[in-house]
Amino acid sequence: MIRLDRRLILNFDWTLFILVLIISGIGLLNIYSSGFSLTDFHQTQLYIKQVQWILIGLVGMALAFFIDYRFLSRHAYIIYGISIVLLLVVFTAGYATRGSQRWIAVGGFTFQPSELVKLTIILALAKYFDRHQIGRGYHLTELFIPFLIVIVPFLFILKQPDLGTGLILFILFLSIVFFVGLDWKSLLIAAAGGLILTPIGWYFLKDYQRERILTFFSPERDPLGSGYHIIQSMIAVGSGGIFGKGFLKGSQTQLKFLPEQQTDFVFSVFAEEWGFLGGMILLILFLSLILWGLKIMIHSKDYPGALIAFGITMLIFWEVFINIGMVLGILPVVGIPLPFLSYGGSSMVVLMTAVGLLMNISVRRFILQSS
Amino acid sequence: MRKIGDRLDGFEPGQFKRKFKMLFIIISVALSLLVMRMWYLQVIEGDELRQRSENNSVRLRKIKPMRGLIMDKDRRVLVDNQPSFDIVFIPNRTKDIRTVIDKIKELYTERSLTFPALSALPGRVKPFVPVLLERNISMEKLAVVETHALELPGVATEVTPVRQYLNGEMTAQIIGFTGEVSREELDRSTTGKLSPGDIIGKFGIEKFLDYHLRGKSGAEQVEVNVAGKAVRSLGRIPAAPGDNVVLTIDSALQEAAWTALGNRAGAVAVLDPRNGAVLALVSSPSFDPNIFNGGISFDDWERLSNDPGHPMENRSISGQYPPGSTYKIVVAAAALEEGLITPETTFHCNGTFESGDRVFRCWQAKGHGNVNLHRAIVESCDVYFYNLGKLLGVDRIAAYARAFGLGAPLGIDLPREKGGLIPTKQWKLSRLRESWQMGETISLAIGQGFNLVTPIQLANAYATLANGGVLYRPRLVKQLESLDGHVVKIYQPEKQGVLPVRPQYIQVINQALWGAVNEKGGTGYILKRQEQDVCGKTGTAQVIGLPQDEKARKAKRVSAGFRDHALFVCYAPYGNPEIVVAVILENAGHGGATAAPVARKVIETYFARKKMTQTQPPAQAQGAADVRKMPKP
Repeated sequence: MIRLDRRLILNFDWTLFILVLIISGIGLLNIYSSGFSLTDFHQTQLYIKQVQWILIGLVGMALAFFIDYRFLSRHAYIIYGISIVLLLVVFTAGYATRGSQRWIAVGGFTFQPSELVKLTIILALAKYFDRHQIGRGYHLTELFIPFLIVIVPFLFILKQPDLGTGLILFILFLSIVFFVGLDWKSLLIAAAGGLILTPIGWYFLKDYQRERILTFFSPERDPLGSGYHIIQSMIAVGSGGIFGKGFLKGSQTQLKFLPEQQTDFVFSVFAEEWGFLGGMILLILFLSLILWGLKIMIHSKDYPGALIAFGITMLIFWEVFINIGMVLGILPVVGIPLPFLSYGGSSMVVLMTAVGLLMNISVRRFILQSS
Repeated sequence: MRKIGDRLDGFEPGQFKRKFKMLFIIISVALSLLVMRMWYLQVIEGDELRQRSENNSVRLRKIKPMRGLIMDKDRRVLVDNQPSFDIVFIPNRTKDIRTVIDKIKELYTERSLTFPALSALPGRVKPFVPVLLERNISMEKLAVVETHALELPGVATEVTPVRQYLNGEMTAQIIGFTGEVSREELDRSTTGKLSPGDIIGKFGIEKFLDYHLRGKSGAEQVEVNVAGKAVRSLGRIPAAPGDNVVLTIDSALQEAAWTALGNRAGAVAVLDPRNGAVLALVSSPSFDPNIFNGGISFDDWERLSNDPGHPMENRSISGQYPPGSTYKIVVAAAALEEGLITPETTFHCNGTFESGDRVFRCWQAKGHGNVNLHRAIVESCDVYFYNLGKLLGVDRIAAYARAFGLGAPLGIDLPREKGGLIPTKQWKLSRLRESWQMGETISLAIGQGFNLVTPIQLANAYATLANGGVLYRPRLVKQLESLDGHVVKIYQPEKQGVLPVRPQYIQVINQALWGAVNEKGGTGYILKRQEQDVCGKTGTAQVIGLPQDEKARKAKRVSAGFRDHALFVCYAPYGNPEIVVAVILENAGHGGATAAPVARKVIETYFARKKMTQTQPPAQAQGAADVRKMPKP
């Protein structure tokens, strides 16, 4: 399965590789800054850990690149199954921080299987829709198995509870279903069903999750509680102005008024210090990455390849959009990391691996073409 | 490769081009939304938000954490927090601090109140940085300031918690006190967690466990109006309260020792020999730590630090005294273990002992006759020990003294512990540039001369005998607890070494110490009790024989009285000791007559309480949580 082909090197997707390196590099500087403090010289060494995560991510990327994606695609269900087992391990052996149980410890590191599931459901769905091509829009009944593929990890993750990841799984599912095509009648029924299910879903949310959503609609409702995130984040972003305050100079950041500033709110640190221009550049980099992913999808030589490329690209797109939208106060606060910028190993390693898979699909179109 | 190639059938590369267009539109619209929002926040609202983040309308206010409580071993609260009202001046509309102060003085004088002299006013007041005008004001002053708020622009009252030391002088030496962090302490702090204005422990347990007691400051970001008043809170990081400290101290024993000492200068150290837990630690004269609440006045500080009785010195751990006859157990153990004598070896005492051209006297001028080790300890025969000293030599005595934990700080959980002094030939040569004289060894054998011990060392050395030879580190802290009573850390007994003396010899010495209290002619006979077998040793330390280099420092104390220090160390019950008491009374004469009754009070209290708790379970001490609540102003 691993075949060191000259063509793998010749046709290596440098654009994608360098784009990801640049974005991760920006992320690293940003984490350095968020851990830096003008008042407290006791530096937190998060950026060193992040370097380690990037390096592990690059290993994952290399693995995903060299193993033929069709091999992975063929064994997609097994890979999916393993990730579900890991999710179950979280419940028995996982350990909890801040009220949710999401992590398992591997060696000195902790790992979040829910991040991995984001990638494995893409593989599993791609395999399913490849096997069941029908040449017309799918009816709702025909979507039962794919729905099952998503709903199982979705429920586990919601139970952890991790609203953000659950949401991403669901959005990924919808994206892929729209991509493979949905019968228009089914579309209407699904929309109606969604409207009915929303209040029921509300019932299942945890208090803090409801609070966050309510606060989103009126941040002033609770300025000391969950609205605090949004207010602080908006002040930080806004105070950056056009050109930003400069590296290591964000006062909101340095006074530690931003909660979770290394993880979900990392963009506010960036926007405070680099301003509108910096934010634009970062968004353009992300846009390039997304469009490049879609280009890989278009030129992919087989159906699963195209589906996987699409899924991965959408994963990056939705995470970027929801995360930044949340930081800017136009979307509710749900825990979704910003790809390649948020501190956190699982997200970094999984996304790097996903990019490896994209490169894999990108390069093998040349190989497949010639065979 | 070919196998997989099959799947290519029917797949038309580029069939997603149409979908790509749609996706491109969706993605572009979504990201444009983000850009528009960024534009709105950073460019349109940018100035406004930058102001909110940087200028004076948003202020960071520190929320002081609640300091942990300190409790005794039965969880009786020793240190509590009380609200204190301070007057502060927040420079904003007016920065003229002197006019404001004059106005306050005027209002005070009308009601015959006095405004304290401010030690130092900042040269230049910074806008919105509060200046403390007066601490811990009375209710009357509070009323004056509050009712005249309009005439006092920028003046506000703030509530801060201050320490309330419920036992005052009795526990001042162990618990210590707090104060505002000093410039030097800020510079020295390596954790970087201190900032100006923080209250930190300055002495005693307050200092030793400051890190745990202090808690973590919180912060609040408030938006203030032009008058400098907070109009709303933009967010708040609550302060984390410090941990509560549970000591090993038994308040009842502490009180018994303190009362027994009365107004005499001295110290009492009480230990549990089974684990090194300190049950009481008293030093007299003492001071009232409550005068440090909200900053000690200059006069009070002068008075305290210039007091000839040195009330701020914790004599029980930093008072260094010649051990007198209490030191004889070290010499006895050394001679036995070194095989120089057996318990049956006798020496004749006719009241004097000659070495070279010097004559050393026994305290009993007519002599003790033929004595063995048991009688020598019981009657505290000096001549017997002069003989042992001569046989052993100074360095061998020193080695055993160190094994008993003498000559170096024991590492008790308090700052400023002293190590005492156990001289050797080498020490004298390097310190005084003189060679050692045999005569010095001889007086050293009865605990006079260069030897210095602290009361806690003395108690600990006897604890080592009492428990059969284990040297523990004396501990003052039992455990740390969080605010809600969860145990954060338990301090375990720490074995520091084992006495290099055979158990049968330890037993011989223990028996002799029992005899010293319970046999006719014993020097501690005054302590004889029916129900509890007490073992003990008296001691009398000559003050005028103070070593040269200590003389200058202690000149004052010596001139205050040339009488000897009285010492008494004891433990009980014999066979399975639970308590060790060491007492030192300065300039009080003979140990058996004056120090032993103090020890007796402590021992009696201990066993009376033990009897009581055995017959009826103790009432649960009230929860720490309710004590800690502070009333709102």
